[in-house]
Amino acid sequence: MTTLWDTTGSAVVKELAAQRRTGGAVMSGVALTLVVVADESRVTEAEQAATAAAELHPCRLLIVVRRQIEAPVPRLDAEVQLGGRLGPGEAVVMRMYGRLGLHAESVVLPLLAADAPVVTWWHAPPPERVSTDALGVIADRRISDSSMSDDPVRSLTLRARDYAPGDTDLTWTRSTPWRATLASTLDSVAGRRGEDVRVLGGEVTGDPANATARLVAGWLTSRCGVPIEVVAGPRVPGPSGIDAVTLRLDQDEEVRLQDDRKGGAVIHQPFRPEAVVALPDRTLGELIGEELRRLDQDEPFSEALEVVTGERGLAARPPIREHVWFDPMKPRQSDAAAEAELTSDATDGGSGDTAATPLPTVPPTSVGTDEVAQSGEHDDPADDSDEQDAVQAAGAPSAAPQ
Amino acid sequence: MSSNPLRDPRDRRLPRVPEPCALVVFGITGDLARKKLLPAVYDLANRGLLPTNFALLGFARRDWGDVEFSELARSAAREHARTPWREEVWERLANSVRFIQGSFDDDNAFDELASNLAELEGSHGIGGNAAFYLSIPPAMFPTVLKQMQRTGMAESTPDRWRRVVVEKPFGNDLASSRELNALVDSVFTADDVFRIDHYLGKETVQNLLALRFANELFEPIWNGHHVDSVQITMAEDVGIGGRAGFYEKTGAARDVLQNHLLQLLALTAMEEPVEFSAEEIRTEKLKVLRAVTVPEDKARFAIRGQYEQGWLAGQRANGYRQEEGVSPESTTETYAAVRLGVETRRWAGVPFYLRTGKRLPRRVTEIALVFKRAPHLPFAPTDTEELGHNQLVVRVQPDEGVTLKFGSKVPGSVMEVRDVAMDFLYGEQFTEASPEAYERLLLDVLLGDATLFPRNAEVEASWAVIDPLEEYWATTEPHSYRAGEWGPRAAEDMLAAEGRSWRRP
Repeated sequence: MTTLWDTTGSAVVKELAAQRRTGGAVMSGVALTLVVVADESRVTEAEQAATAAAELHPCRLLIVVRRQIEAPVPRLDAEVQLGGRLGPGEAVVMRMYGRLGLHAESVVLPLLAADAPVVTWWHAPPPERVSTDALGVIADRRISDSSMSDDPVRSLTLRARDYAPGDTDLTWTRSTPWRATLASTLDSVAGRRGEDVRVLGGEVTGDPANATARLVAGWLTSRCGVPIEVVAGPRVPGPSGIDAVTLRLDQDEEVRLQDDRKGGAVIHQPFRPEAVVALPDRTLGELIGEELRRLDQDEPFSEALEVVTGERGLAARPPIREHVWFDPMKPRQSDAAAEAELTSDATDGGSGDTAATPLPTVPPTSVGTDEVAQSGEHDDPADDSDEQDAVQAAGAPSAAPQ
Repeated sequence: MSSNPLRDPRDRRLPRVPEPCALVVFGITGDLARKKLLPAVYDLANRGLLPTNFALLGFARRDWGDVEFSELARSAAREHARTPWREEVWERLANSVRFIQGSFDDDNAFDELASNLAELEGSHGIGGNAAFYLSIPPAMFPTVLKQMQRTGMAESTPDRWRRVVVEKPFGNDLASSRELNALVDSVFTADDVFRIDHYLGKETVQNLLALRFANELFEPIWNGHHVDSVQITMAEDVGIGGRAGFYEKTGAARDVLQNHLLQLLALTAMEEPVEFSAEEIRTEKLKVLRAVTVPEDKARFAIRGQYEQGWLAGQRANGYRQEEGVSPESTTETYAAVRLGVETRRWAGVPFYLRTGKRLPRRVTEIALVFKRAPHLPFAPTDTEELGHNQLVVRVQPDEGVTLKFGSKVPGSVMEVRDVAMDFLYGEQFTEASPEAYERLLLDVLLGDATLFPRNAEVEASWAVIDPLEEYWATTEPHSYRAGEWGPRAAEDMLAAEGRSWRRP
């Protein structure tokens, strides 16, 4: 492991190449790059999950931690790892201070594995608009986690509004064991009957505020063509938000899956004894591992999402996003924004005035210290921050630069 | 299968799960069952690939109850499982594990098995579907099969399927394999017979088909115009272990050449199947196996060997004749190398060199396509002295992957071309997607997917290749080689006679 303090993107590229040369038998090729966006408080959790996933799907792992956007001097600290704490492959943990955080892609782009797919995972509340984060724009597949937001169902709605093919959400990944069990239960009904099965209705009993439960209901609705809702039940459901699923079939039959609170579920179906199936809780690493297995777009997810949110035509949207410049330091005028203005006043010499002079620049103090930050120019007046809610401004940290 | 609204071909997250069924293993206390089958069943369960209504029945002579059996199964699965151990997964599986004690000629035991199956049909909802795994010596097949016929366990009906899984060896020559096939087919219908050749369950073997037929790059040169020769090697560093009784009667050719190596040859040499389905792939493989010719000059091109005392991996190794249970005058071969031809338009004139042996320096299985030299080299002869033949090597085990060997300029002021290797390592790019071969094959049996299982016609065609060799070898003594070297001298001479040499794997 090498840690580079106050370094540049090019130095990281060089260090990675150097370690690859001296490291002996290391991977000669990687099938994909996983970019993880996490904040400092969750970086350990994200590292563990990404490492576990990287063991399943060897990849180049780039972890981006954005800190102190308001710091006056942009700075990059990087930790380059080959076959160490972060799994068998190549891994770089980058901490970006100051406005470099807004240009993270300038450091990340040269580090991507050549001509291999890029997956970006936000281990944070999902971005409101993916197109405002260049790390999402360069990705072929984007993983968000609505369960990290305060209101997961509202977060799903935002994800649907912003959806482009290639987006996915971990609340959907968490539904796979339930969905697989439901599908195989109906297989067994169809196998017994020797004829088609139709679902006439049903319900998901659980927590209507849980995104996974809502997606399972949405999926059932989209597959069966009958409305199936999440209804609150007497019992408090587990982390999946689902306590039971009941499906009413044709021929007056019914199947029911009931969470048994012991890492499994009991299947009730006609003409068959009750059976217990394991539905073990999966770690974050396993969820990311499932996401990395396939890199094509996930139509069943977009269809379930359409049902849950009422958005339409998700799968037909263009899969490629245009980057939209968004400066959290210069949000639309609002209470939260005003506060952010105050802090930025003290820290950012070039852009501290008002939102009316939208010309953020790399602070003069950084001249000559970071050629990459300088050349990564997204700061032109293509600034449509009007469309932005002041998402990050409210949370703009006030810690002083180091 | 009838349609299920929740099944969506685009939904790749949901696994293929078999219908409710039972797996009956004869010889459950044996080595294979403990080291491979039970762990594979656990791994499948852990990956959520077993149906919710599933039962496992073990049949063996040992005097055991369900509890003892369950304990053995648990420790076997736990010790050899590939996936992490989850007690709750095992517990659910253990609920549906039964043990039936009895010998194979015991009518009562089979009646008990039949009634157990019928009972599980109701209590565990397995719907009458069952796969029977014969993990027993082939000599026992007739007894067991007759018992199954007597109890009516082997019949597939429209409501239920019954399948049988047979392990190699499938007979020991063409006549006996025909007999065995006839016997199995008289009890089960041909479609319900699954012959396991675990090599075909390996990812790399399946990847060979992807490599050849999904890419534009390789197929145009995959023929006698560009390929000089093909070498297929399966080397083992171990001796015969405790299997002297079996090995004395079998030998390397019957044990490995007849099945694994000829199957690898078939997959390497076959034409493109019309579609990627069991029937079409088997058809193409069968065509190749029927086109295989054995050499006229067998003394030179069909070599067998037997290992003598030597040193291997820093340890002294006994010679074959000194192994326990082996006759001191044994003429059983532990090494076989043969030059085969494939008489098709694509391969006419290209020799296929197959070799297998025990106590060779390392354990390795690979298929190497050795290409012809470029028709013209615009360099001075001294520039290309170190340039060999281009090679494409498919490594089956270990380090599953593909290597491409070609010439490259040595840095410096003079023009000098030397061989370099470009490596693709399976485990580097897709660690996750490498289920154990048995896991894959067991799942395929339960799903009824016969793509990776040889058909009886293939087995018979393979014996038709081996029989003339065995006939010739019966009159000769095997050449000797020291344990720890790459086979007898005569095998080197076999290639040297045509100006070639074995690749050191």
